[in-house]
Amino acid sequence: MIEILDLHKSFGSLEVLKGVDLSLEHGKVLVIIGPSGSGKTTLLRCFNLLEIPDQGSVSLADVKINFTDAKRIDQKSMLALRRKTGMVFQSYNLFPHMTALGNVMEGQITVQKRTKEEARKRALALLDKVGLADKADSYPHQLSGGQQQRVAIARAMAVEPEVLLFDEPTSALDPELVGEVLKVIKQLAREGMTMVIVTHEMKFAADVADRIILMDDGLILEQGSPQEVLEHPRNPRALQFLNRLNGEDI
Amino acid sequence: MDDRKIQILLDSLLPLLKAGVAFTIPLSLVSFALGLLLAVLTALVRLSPWMIPKLIARFYVWVIRGTPLLVQLFIIFYGLPAVGIVLDPFIAATIGFTLSVGAYSSEIVRAAILSIHKGQWEAAFSVGMTRGQALRRVILPQAARVSVPPLSNSFISLVKDTSLAATITYMEMFKTAQQVAATTYEPLLVYSEAGVCYLLFCSVLSALQNYLEKRLDRYSAS
Repeated sequence: MIEILDLHKSFGSLEVLKGVDLSLEHGKVLVIIGPSGSGKTTLLRCFNLLEIPDQGSVSLADVKINFTDAKRIDQKSMLALRRKTGMVFQSYNLFPHMTALGNVMEGQITVQKRTKEEARKRALALLDKVGLADKADSYPHQLSGGQQQRVAIARAMAVEPEVLLFDEPTSALDPELVGEVLKVIKQLAREGMTMVIVTHEMKFAADVADRIILMDDGLILEQGSPQEVLEHPRNPRALQFLNRLNGEDI
Repeated sequence: MDDRKIQILLDSLLPLLKAGVAFTIPLSLVSFALGLLLAVLTALVRLSPWMIPKLIARFYVWVIRGTPLLVQLFIIFYGLPAVGIVLDPFIAATIGFTLSVGAYSSEIVRAAILSIHKGQWEAAFSVGMTRGQALRRVILPQAARVSVPPLSNSFISLVKDTSLAATITYMEMFKTAQQVAATTYEPLLVYSEAGVCYLLFCSVLSALQNYLEKRLDRYSAS
């Protein structure tokens, strides 16, 4: 369903992605891991064009975009691609001037042109699903980090994306709040939501992923089932990264 | 203070307040509303990628900020008739003050828009909004909150600056005071009274600013 071919991206003279290919089928969960600066977040942000690749192509369902002349991309296909994806950010990025309910209704009303009643009904159902039905009228600053991130997940789901993108969704959270967010993501995985997740939570990655990609220095070092990548990596640098993680865990 | 002076004060108070309500306030409100519109437009153009409009916007802000308001008013009211454009004092003053508010406040609006974290744009884009939708629904409402205090400053400045319209024969509060002072020979008394009237109007505006800030504060963490 998602196919990415030969993706390149530079920031100035720094080449962050050096030719990445990957594909993902409908209903599967892909987890991207790797050391900081390996390009995993940039790769994820290319899925919904928050970063515009310099070269390569991204296709999702029936939208396909080729990147050649970096700055000139068709606005229509860009919107089409964004409307098939939803994103959950590391720092939540909820709209602070709207209530939790308002946040989840906003995209439905502005983008999907649903009526207010329809949007409200759906938003309430989604807030209930992430366990926050009682916080519908709270503003983001009145919620804990974990609650805000769960609202953000509901907001991303509300526009019915084909795929949900998670950019280190628990990195900004206090340790005791990580669990409630991971639980929601796991629930979505069980329901067959297609997801791409950048994370540092290895146990969670092993749990939820159908496939894991390990990135380093702008390239994919390893990919395969969680078992293949986490337990039997072939590349020595992948092994080094995993060992370092395990070392830190102890 | 003798009875005559008290009588002058009382006699002039009503005409002064009347001039304030009938001339100073309408001129301030209309100029500020139009000026704000111009300011938002100018700020958006300056933040856009369009080179030529951007240059025009910068040129406009540069000229208006770099020349005295009094000179601008004189050019519009006394200068333009030389090329066949004769304007009524109210229209001339409105044009002058609108251009001034537009230039100064465009910098406030621009700064307020830039102060909104880029994660807000990204979140708006991630649910599929266009740039315009993101601006209207997500960025501007937050920028408005940030710009209430500095824009209130601009508005209060404007109310006082409208006294310059006296020089282009607009019968606002200060012009009225000038006439009373001329006929009573009590400049200290009458101009002080005019000052108190401006203070009164500006105090109401400050209270309005407080109210607006409190109202918009309900979603901010601080």
